[in-house]
Amino acid sequence: MLDNYLPILIFILVGILVGVGPLALGYLLGPRRPDAEKDSPYECGFEAFETARLKFDVRFYLVAILFIVFDLEIAFLFPWAIVLDELGIFAFWAMVVFLGILVVGFIYEWKKGALEWE
Amino acid sequence: MTELWNALPLVIQILLKITAILLPLLGLVAYYTYAERKVIGYIQIRIGPNRVGWRGLLQPIADAVKLMMKEIVIPTKADKTLFLLAPMIAIAPAMAAWAVFPFDEELVLADINAGLLYILALTSLGVYGVIIAGWASNSRYALLGAMRSAAQIVAYEIAMGFALVGVLVAAGSLNLGAIVAAQQGSLLTWFWLPLLPLFGVYLISGVAETNRAPFDVAEGESEIVAGFHVEYSGMGFAVFFLAEYANMILIAALTSLMFLGGWLSPLPQAWVGDLWLLGDGFHWLLLKTFFFMFVFLWLRATFPRYRYDQIMRLGWKVFIPITIVWILVVALAVVYRLPPWWSA
Amino acid sequence: MGFEKFLFYVFALITLWAAGMVITRRNPVHAVLFLVLAFVSSAALWVLIEAEFLGIVLVLVYVGAVMVLFLFVVMMLDVDLAALRAGFIRALPLGLLVAGVMAVEIFLIVGPANFGLEAFPPPDAAPADATNTRDLGILLYSIYIYPVEIAAVILLVAIVAAIRLTLRRRPDNKSVDPARQVRVKKGPDRIRLVKMAPEVEEPFGASPTTESGETS
Repeated sequence: MLDNYLPILIFILVGILVGVGPLALGYLLGPRRPDAEKDSPYECGFEAFETARLKFDVRFYLVAILFIVFDLEIAFLFPWAIVLDELGIFAFWAMVVFLGILVVGFIYEWKKGALEWE
Repeated sequence: MTELWNALPLVIQILLKITAILLPLLGLVAYYTYAERKVIGYIQIRIGPNRVGWRGLLQPIADAVKLMMKEIVIPTKADKTLFLLAPMIAIAPAMAAWAVFPFDEELVLADINAGLLYILALTSLGVYGVIIAGWASNSRYALLGAMRSAAQIVAYEIAMGFALVGVLVAAGSLNLGAIVAAQQGSLLTWFWLPLLPLFGVYLISGVAETNRAPFDVAEGESEIVAGFHVEYSGMGFAVFFLAEYANMILIAALTSLMFLGGWLSPLPQAWVGDLWLLGDGFHWLLLKTFFFMFVFLWLRATFPRYRYDQIMRLGWKVFIPITIVWILVVALAVVYRLPPWWSA
Repeated sequence: MGFEKFLFYVFALITLWAAGMVITRRNPVHAVLFLVLAFVSSAALWVLIEAEFLGIVLVLVYVGAVMVLFLFVVMMLDVDLAALRAGFIRALPLGLLVAGVMAVEIFLIVGPANFGLEAFPPPDAAPADATNTRDLGILLYSIYIYPVEIAAVILLVAIVAAIRLTLRRRPDNKSVDPARQVRVKKGPDRIRLVKMAPEVEEPFGASPTTESGETS
């Protein structure tokens, strides 16, 4: 089984090189003339007033947390999908219960307006 | 010839195979940018690029050379390491996903059993390039674009994951080759028909995941100039661009693999046999992939940009319920062996 | 075996180094990215012991989802690092004590006595077509079905808790609901296009017959 993962490891390394190569080329071939105006962050012609790292609405965190929950759910669904054919209707009802519990959570989200993007 | 090949060390063999995948892919990416400008040009009754070479065919090469000669501006106060790392993080998963992609029945570099899972995991890494670029640039527009894009990618990744689970239920295997084999038959036994809602969800989520129009609020030229890569110039920008197009090609190829039977011929084997090119083969996969690549451009030329709250609504409130319901429908069909797709 | 062992040490070293960087970097964003690296290399370690499903799910869930949340949090909160480090020396003895106790506990449980190479000799390499996703699925959805449903309940609690803790309404917000936007009745809500003859102010001296009659 591991024989199949060696090409993947090499492919990932090559993939990173595909990113490094062009950047290195651009670094070698391109000019470098630093300039205070040019290197200042883009702000539609204004001077940049302060650091750009602003605080964000808590809603972004909520989206990220809900995402984790659903991602976990997908991780549970993968093995189920593979064995459904073998385990038959029992596995089907097991997943109906599993998804049913989570759909309750989903409905709660929906009714509370957590999915509203205002 | 085969003796010479077998005599090579394993690593060299693998590297040669990887080159054989990546070089055509990068060429395809380069000419996809050209095709985009041409196709959108003709849709808008313009000619598109036509100066460099015959009908502008050398345009991508000219663009590449120009970008190479440009300065890579690194803004003051930017986090220099992360700023340069971000494009690499963006492109590496877009390339590495091809490792498990089967091009034909036997033609696959790494035939792992968890192929689909591997691809989903790599797609989920794509968001890092965007977030890191936005944060490292120390620019407000970049950060805004990165946040928008992150929340959007995250929402559609769930829909995409659920759609993939539907494919898995239908095929009963995580191996991409086995998924194609499960669609054997004809046009009507491919998964697009029993999985029609998931097919639509997957394709649209693919457009949203790659931040393409009409879901391109991460770039949103008219609102936040260019979003997360506003501070990138020269090759830094080019690498992001490459990653975006490589991802589009990947989604197009995966869609044709999972829903349109990959290299399978649309006609039943009994009718055509091995007649000319009508039998199964790599060319069918290529044709289907090109079709979806065209759809990406078509969408961009046709639809105005979605508003951000509409995007989030579609991802969470429309796609997720559809996919959950349809997964259970497909599961029932599999358990009770609904013909013609799952006859015992 | 030689090459696998070499890879094991490479990934183990990367994991340890990245984990060390997580707690020594001053910049929290860098720390989180090193944590990502630690997770990726431990996923590689899992794949090395042929737990491919778990290895890839580690990347999918931890790197692809949990760390994205971490990044959101550390990027957007201004953490006052100087204030955080102020009590460092004072808390150091206590910290060392807790760390030491934990290390001993971990050693007692997963140390060589229970999990050594004698207790767990390396398994035979799985055949190339082995798929542990399937094996896992068979176990999860037959013997361990009860814990799986409990996991669903825990996830439900997580959803409810996250919403209770973070959701708040912004009173100053002027958003429109797209669902209501598209819900229009055919009659009064829509713009009605009416066909009518043009009403043109007659220019002086023009003949009236050429102006009327044609609608387009």
